[in-house]
Amino acid sequence: MITTYQITLKIHRYDPALQKHWTQEYQVEAGRIMRFVDVLRKINDEQDPTLAWGSSCEHGQCGTCSMKINGKPLLSCELLVENAVDFFNTTTFEIEPLEVAPRIRDLIIDTEKAYERVDRVKPYVIDPAPADHDDVEENQISPEDLERYVDATRCINCFCCSSACISSHRTFLGPNAMLAAVVRVMDPREREKQQRLDVLYNENGVYRCHSSKACSFVCPKEIDVAHFIALAKEGL
Amino acid sequence: MKQQSRLGTIPGISYVQKTARNRGWPYVVAWLHRITGLMLVLYVFLHILTLSGLSDPVGFEQKMQWFQKLIPLFFDWFLAIPVIFHSLNGGRLILYELFGNRLDQPVLRGVMVGSGLYLLMLAVIMIMGDQSVSPFLFWVYFFLASILCGYLVTLRLKRSGATLLWKMQRVSGTFLFLMVPAHMLFMHLDPVIGRDAQLILTRLQSPFIKLVDLLLVVSVLYHGGYGVIGVCRDYLSFRGAQLALLVLITTLFFGFGLIGVKLLFLV
Ligand code: HEM
Ligand code: SF4
Ligand code: SF4
Repeated sequence: MITTYQITLKIHRYDPALQKHWTQEYQVEAGRIMRFVDVLRKINDEQDPTLAWGSSCEHGQCGTCSMKINGKPLLSCELLVENAVDFFNTTTFEIEPLEVAPRIRDLIIDTEKAYERVDRVKPYVIDPAPADHDDVEENQISPEDLERYVDATRCINCFCCSSACISSHRTFLGPNAMLAAVVRVMDPREREKQQRLDVLYNENGVYRCHSSKACSFVCPKEIDVAHFIALAKEGL
Repeated sequence: MKQQSRLGTIPGISYVQKTARNRGWPYVVAWLHRITGLMLVLYVFLHILTLSGLSDPVGFEQKMQWFQKLIPLFFDWFLAIPVIFHSLNGGRLILYELFGNRLDQPVLRGVMVGSGLYLLMLAVIMIMGDQSVSPFLFWVYFFLASILCGYLVTLRLKRSGATLLWKMQRVSGTFLFLMVPAHMLFMHLDPVIGRDAQLILTRLQSPFIKLVDLLLVVSVLYHGGYGVIGVCRDYLSFRGAQLALLVLITTLFFGFGLIGVKLLFLV
C-alpha cells in the first residue's frame, strides 16, 4: 500500500501590496491520509510561511477552508490526499480561492463581502410566532414540518455552491442565500413571510437559477440545494 | 491510479469530462440548453427573414433553390439537433421545477434517447421524401396537444409566486414543446412543402393555419426574448446596462414579431 505521495501543488497567489498575481509550485511529500489543510500547513512550516490560507474548525463545520482544487469547489479539511489522487487521477493539484468575493491575499477571500448576499435574505427569524403551549417558552416544530426542510438547516455557508453555479456571481444572490430564504418560509416559527418572498422572487433571486444542479453536486453537507430552489419556483 | 480514457485525451472532450466531474452532468446539460436556446434564436430570426421574401413568390423560390444548392440537405437535419434537444430538455426542466419530479436522472437519459430517436425518424422521413399529409389534420393534432400541455402548466403555475412574465416563459416553452419539433417534421414530410411559394401561400389562406402560425411566432419570440434577457441579466449588474439591454432586445424581438405577423396576414 502506498503510504506517502510526492504531490505537486500549483497555488494561485496574490500579493495586495504589490498588486501581483502569480502561480507558485510546491513539491510536498504527503502522507496518504493527510488532508489538504495539513498539506498547506506543512508548506507553511517547511517551505513558505508567507502562503496565506484560511481555516477554523477543520471538521467540515465552519466553511472557512473552502477553495477550488483542480476546478472543484470543496472543503480542504475534508479532502484526503489519497482520495484526491484517486478522484482527480493525478498527483498535481491546482489550488485557487473561490471567486465569489474579492480576494484579500493568496487563498483568502473577503468573506464579509460574500456574506452580504446571505445577509440580504435576513437568515434569522424576523417575527417569531408566540409559543403554542402555555407550559413551554419556545415554539415547537412538529417532526413532519421539520422533515421538509431539516436538510437545508445543515448549510454552513461555505459558498462552494455559489462558486459552482452556472449563474455568474454578478447578480444572483446565490444558492445558499436562496436556501436560507426558503428555510425561513418553511419554518413555522416565522410569521414574516412576505419579506422573504420579496427577496426570493426578486430579479437577483430564483430567476437567476437555471436548475443546473451544480450546487447540489458540490455541496459538502450533501444538501440538495437545487431541490429547495425548485420548490420556491413551484410555490412554497 | 486509474487509467486515463483515450477519449479524455482529446482537448474539448477532456474539458467537458472535467466539468462534469467537478459540477455534475446536469450542469453541462444546462450549458447545452443555454447554447442551443441562443442558437435557436438566431435560427428563428433567419427563418423569419427568409420567409418574409414570400411577398415576392418568384424571388422566394429562386432564393430557396439557391439555398438548396448552397446548403446540403444534411445540414437541415443537423439543425434539428439543437431543436429537439432544447425542446425535450426544456420539458425536463419544467417537470423538475414545476411538477416536483426528482427522478431527474432517468428523465435526462430519456431526453438523450428521445432526441436520438427523433433525429433518426427525421432522417428516415427526409430520405423517403414525398410523404403526403393533410396539413389541417396534422396541425389540429399537434396544436390541440400543445394547447393542452400549456394549459396543464398554467394550472400548475397558479401556486407559484413568480412574476407573470416568468410564468409566461414557462407556458410558452410548454406550448412549443411539441409545436417546434412537429414544425420541423412537417417541413420535411415532403421537400416541396417548405420551398414551393404557391403551396405555402395556399396553406396560409386557411384561418386555422394562420392561427397556428401566429401563436407559434408569438410564443417563440416571447420565449426566446425572455430567455436572452435572462442570460444577459446573469452577467450585467449595472442598472443602466440592464435597462438598455431590455429596450434593445424587446425592440429587436418585437420587430421580428411584426415581420412575422405581417407575413401571415399578407395573404
Ligand atoms: C424553438 C424555439 C425556442 C427558442 C428560440 C428558445 C430559446 C431559449 C433561450 C434563449 C433560453 C435561455 C437559456 C438560458 O436561460 O440559459 C431558453 C430557456 C428555456 N427554454 Fe427555450 N427556446 C425554444 C423552445 C423551447 C421549448 C420547445 C421548450 C420546451 C418546453 C423550452 C423550454 C425552455 C426552458 C424551460 C428554459 C429555461 C431554462 C433556464 O431557466 O435556464 N424552450 N429558451
Ligand atoms: S448549501 Fe452546501 S455548498 Fe452551499 S454554502 Fe451551504 S453547505 Fe456550502
Ligand atoms: S441549480 Fe440553480 S442555484 Fe444551483 S447551481 Fe444551478 S443555477 Fe445555481
